[in-house]
Amino acid sequence: MIGATLTLLYREIKKWVNRKPVFVVSLITPIIWIALFGKSLNLQSLFQPPPGVAQNPAFASVYKSMVEKRMLELFGTTDYFTYMSSGMLVAFSLFQGLFSGVSIIFDKRLGYLDRLLVTPIPRISIWASKILAVIVRVTVLSTILLVVAIAMGMQLKEGIGLVDLLGAWLVIVLVAAGISSLYAMISFYASHQEVVFTLGNLLNLPLMFASSALFPVEQMPSWMQKIAKANPVTYAADLVRHYLIGRAVNDYWKSIGLLVALVAVLLVLSAWLSVRWMESR
Amino acid sequence: MSEYAIEVEDLRKVYPGGVEALRGVSFRVRKGEIFSLLGPNGAGKTTTVRILSTLYKPTGGVARVLGYDVVRESGKVRRVIGVVSQESTSDDEMTGFDNVYIQARLYGLSGEEARRAAWEALRFMGLENAANRKVSTYSGGMKRRLEIAMSLVHTPQVLFLDEPTLGLDVESRRELWKLILDLKRRGVTILLTTHYMEEADRLSDRVAIINEGRIIAVGTPEELKKKVGGEAIHIAPMDPQDADKIIERLKSHGYDVRKAGRIVVVKVDDASRRITEIIKLVEDVEVLEVGVVKPNLEEVFLLLTGRRLIEEEPSTTARIPTRR
Repeated sequence: MIGATLTLLYREIKKWVNRKPVFVVSLITPIIWIALFGKSLNLQSLFQPPPGVAQNPAFASVYKSMVEKRMLELFGTTDYFTYMSSGMLVAFSLFQGLFSGVSIIFDKRLGYLDRLLVTPIPRISIWASKILAVIVRVTVLSTILLVVAIAMGMQLKEGIGLVDLLGAWLVIVLVAAGISSLYAMISFYASHQEVVFTLGNLLNLPLMFASSALFPVEQMPSWMQKIAKANPVTYAADLVRHYLIGRAVNDYWKSIGLLVALVAVLLVLSAWLSVRWMESR
Repeated sequence: MSEYAIEVEDLRKVYPGGVEALRGVSFRVRKGEIFSLLGPNGAGKTTTVRILSTLYKPTGGVARVLGYDVVRESGKVRRVIGVVSQESTSDDEMTGFDNVYIQARLYGLSGEEARRAAWEALRFMGLENAANRKVSTYSGGMKRRLEIAMSLVHTPQVLFLDEPTLGLDVESRRELWKLILDLKRRGVTILLTTHYMEEADRLSDRVAIINEGRIIAVGTPEELKKKVGGEAIHIAPMDPQDADKIIERLKSHGYDVRKAGRIVVVKVDDASRRITEIIKLVEDVEVLEVGVVKPNLEEVFLLLTGRRLIEEEPSTTARIPTRR
């Protein structure tokens, strides 16, 4: 089973890398996300002291410290870009998850899946290779995203260590595994690629916006807070922030526990339903 | 072990939604032979191949490949079969070699073995010079040959070819026929589906004619063609008026003669030997054309079903108004 999974993973990665223009664009995408989102939503610039205040150095300094206090309260950092780019790592993983579904739909349509199904490989390896391919993509692209974010001014927490980076990576991988499992099982049963794209748009945007990925939950209207607090993306984003920029996270273990449990359920359900589809035609 | 590579008994398949694709199909394929399922689109050919290659489960009936039940022992069946489906399944942004190599690895060959097997399959299909090119640069014929190379890399004992030459030009088709016959020489049992009667005729040891989910005739191409009677000699006189004269003359010499339009059809057992005698008999009549017509599988199908194998071709009368 491992041999077949690795062979199919080799195919997925080779396909990704071989399509040179697509590969290059997929590498640039995280840079664009970070640059456009991060720098256009520059919250500090909204809080420039009004002209009267700015002229008085004493007032200006009080004003600045007030803004920073508020920023610190809300974001856990005085720099919104730092806050946002760590959340962006999770949001980006969410969107990469769609590729498991897209690739399954194409293998179904082009007859490659049938070719695989007449070989003696375990059915689950077909499913596993799709999930692993997303994890590999996310690992490569998140690394680029992080490097670019740091180059553009993201401030990592002081004394950040390998364990923190590993922790952040694991959370991002959990998100990728969970969301790609979801799209994988849908794609085996879906007859058209539109189903996956439509569901992807329907699910991903609320998952991203009604979470702490881009904005703190505390500033949301109360009905939205309820959604955001139940949203697994919030747990993931809070954890990544905890590891990378040192923002305090409420219920550290609860967040980890819930995230792991949810992803485990999605993985098992997705593997089971996918194999069931492959075996019951 | 039985002498049959494939045994199919009363196979039935009803698709979800109620389409009855197979209504009780039975046939047996001997080891080492090329066996064709000949029939029009929608006859049930692909469904049969999909059940035999473990992709679909039958609604009823039994199918065995090399003695293994395709439902209960699907894992064993998958080890001994190769399947070439109608559509192109290769990854065209990868090289031909990579496509075949990945297949070999999926059958559990080690890196070195897989490399060797991939090159051998590519060489056999005449693709070694294109092996390191991306499949997107291949011609239609090359892509088909790559599909077969991918399906051969684990040296299967039974090969399913579903419409292998669909959409190919005449030259590529002939090239592929030669390769399929080479495979048979290597001892591979081949089940081929086609709706080209010439393909079934040229390649097959035996042919099953399939229509609307049922097999309506099985036999060697020669046996099947005997169903429409022997060969015939067609004589087209220059002046249509002479047709009756020819018919009179030949009838008096004991020939089975009839008129079809302006052509005189003479039914004979051995046309190539009789033709000189017949030409001599009508020496004094000016003749436009004389030809030997061998019975073909298309005629067999027509005789058995009243339909043609390929029906998508519009008739001339139907085409004229659309041109205007």
